[in-house]
Amino acid sequence: MSPFDLLLQQIINGLSLGSMYALLALGFTIVYGIMELINFSHFNVFMIGSFVAMGVLSLFGLQGQSILMHGAPLVVALIVALVVTMVACGLLGVLIERVALRPLRGVQGPMAMITTIGVSYVLSNATMLALGANTKNFPNPIPPMTFHIGTAQITAFQIVIWVLSALLMGGLYMFVQRSKLGKAMRATAQDPDAALMMGVEVNRVIMTAFFLGSALAGAAGFIFGLYYNFTNFGIGFTAGLRAFTAAVLGGIGNIPGAMLGGILIGLIEAMAGQYVGAKWADVIIFSLLVLVLIARPAGLLGRLAPTKS
Amino acid sequence: MITRRSAATLLAGTALGAAFGLPGIAEAADKEIIIGINLPITGADAAGAKRMMNGALLGIQQANDANEIPGYKLKGLVLNDATATAGQYDPAQAATNARKFVSNPKVLAAIGPEMSGAAKAMAPILSEGDLTIITPSATNPDLTNPQFAAQYMPGGKPVFFRTVTTDAFQGPNMANFYAETLGVKDVYILDDSGAYGVGLADSFEAQCKAKGVKVLGRDRLDPTASDYTAVMTKIKSLSASSLYYGGVAGAGVKVVKESYAVVPNIKKGAGDGMYSPDVTTGAGFPAAEGWYVTNASPHMTEDPKVAAWISAYQSAFNQSPDDYAITSYDGVLVILAALKKVIAEGKAPTRDNVRAAVASSTVDTLQGTVSFDANGDIKQRVVSVFQIVHNPAYPLDDTIHQFKYIGVAPQS
Repeated sequence: MSPFDLLLQQIINGLSLGSMYALLALGFTIVYGIMELINFSHFNVFMIGSFVAMGVLSLFGLQGQSILMHGAPLVVALIVALVVTMVACGLLGVLIERVALRPLRGVQGPMAMITTIGVSYVLSNATMLALGANTKNFPNPIPPMTFHIGTAQITAFQIVIWVLSALLMGGLYMFVQRSKLGKAMRATAQDPDAALMMGVEVNRVIMTAFFLGSALAGAAGFIFGLYYNFTNFGIGFTAGLRAFTAAVLGGIGNIPGAMLGGILIGLIEAMAGQYVGAKWADVIIFSLLVLVLIARPAGLLGRLAPTKS
Repeated sequence: MITRRSAATLLAGTALGAAFGLPGIAEAADKEIIIGINLPITGADAAGAKRMMNGALLGIQQANDANEIPGYKLKGLVLNDATATAGQYDPAQAATNARKFVSNPKVLAAIGPEMSGAAKAMAPILSEGDLTIITPSATNPDLTNPQFAAQYMPGGKPVFFRTVTTDAFQGPNMANFYAETLGVKDVYILDDSGAYGVGLADSFEAQCKAKGVKVLGRDRLDPTASDYTAVMTKIKSLSASSLYYGGVAGAGVKVVKESYAVVPNIKKGAGDGMYSPDVTTGAGFPAAEGWYVTNASPHMTEDPKVAAWISAYQSAFNQSPDDYAITSYDGVLVILAALKKVIAEGKAPTRDNVRAAVASSTVDTLQGTVSFDANGDIKQRVVSVFQIVHNPAYPLDDTIHQFKYIGVAPQS
């Protein structure tokens, strides 16, 4: 491969990875934007999403790598799996908020954040105990189709990931900017007390934030499974930590920031693997995070707490 | 103060302890000898660990049934060194278990651990406690290397024995297999950053250089990361003709999947960490097809001489054993022989006497005669090579049928 093709190939790799991080980062950002809470249970909502998607696909008779689908049945199976996964994860997010976090609303200090860490472990260990710790083979019914640019190749599936991520992210952005509930979310983010006085139902806004963030995590889990063809109870932590870093890098609380951060981290990971050595990827990612936070404490696109504090 | 919550925790803890067979409160009969068994029986490596556990338990049960050591009753004490947080073996838990063995005066010897990382945490504690342990599968050479005696053998005498050979042979013999049998000219080497994986990849790399196989690169994977596509793309860009992976199945499954996506046609190989049903189920076919993996023991499960033993194992546990279930059983045979010898010589069955008897033992086991060198390593150094070949007639997790025995790797 020529150096240019190689660079192109790694950009393709990095964009696919970055789209997934971006979807996951959005969940951190939405919840943080509204509640100033870093929700670590998000890591494992993503993991559960991959298992839900695997379960739905198995209902279509999909198991292992040998069964391929084509045309309309393929599209139907994928859309059903995606929708079911997103709704299930969204509801899981709402449940976590209702059961574990609402009783702590208004409690000062890091209690709520620590609770989310606890919830995260509950989710991952419950999955491990219920389904076993071994790695599961995630079915991939999409026929292998590759396009070549020089010697670099893009698979049809990578394009699907990009389009799907762009649609979901765009949809979220539009929802927050245009819809009434989105406006209520932004109002709550700016000043929960004033929003409450204006008749915004804060509980509903918070539940919406959890639902949307968790649904996107579910979508990311589904994409993860299709892309890597495996899942296990432990996939949440590393991917979640990278996505969290992406959210902070882009400016936590800022939706375009989370997307930018996710894509950047995906690209850095791919480039580090090629040009520096995979073992340095984390060092580079987290050093960059420190540098960005020193230069721009609110992240690349973030503003320091707009009206709060 | 006992709150409702702490009472619940206490209860849950007790129930868990009972479920995992932690030492109970009830006093057993006199003249009981306990053989500790420390393996990661939950988590990612549970399948292989349970086979080893069953192998050891079968040995203990058969000895009791045949009343091999008159006047004594043997008991296996199984401790789990996997934790829920780690999802696999946890060196800290392994160290805790080693302390439990040492502090229980009835434990005279032990079997385990499965993983070299756990062994490194246990060895110093067992050495201080003068407690013999025989591992059926931990192959890292440092554990018995006199150079690291201060670290792993602070008690001064070898207590760490193996019924498998070490990565000092597993890696190099596989390099010989690459060079001589497969005839590869260049290789890209990966490891999973674990104690086992790094050591194995190092020894493989050194022998490749000695054999004139060009090492195109060496990289270290983060076992918790999901995406190794970038490294695979690099391997493709170097036009490497082969890949070697030192590590366990955790990262290995992803290596198998992603190397198949990017570099499907090059030769690929790994050590005994990849002789695991996780590879054939998690990565699946066609990705796993064609991988070469080694075991640091002779291949025994297809040997007609052990057929009777295998049917005994199958009827006891309703599953098929693998070679490391046999090395685990062999470990128990070595301990039994040592106990018999100590008692026959009229000495008290103490840890010190058992250790001395194990160190000097020559025991007929399923894999042949087992005896140890001065450091505790087994004298036979056979490394077996297998190739993953999909056999649709058997389930994917049936390692015995999905891993086809190729032969013994050429020794240096």
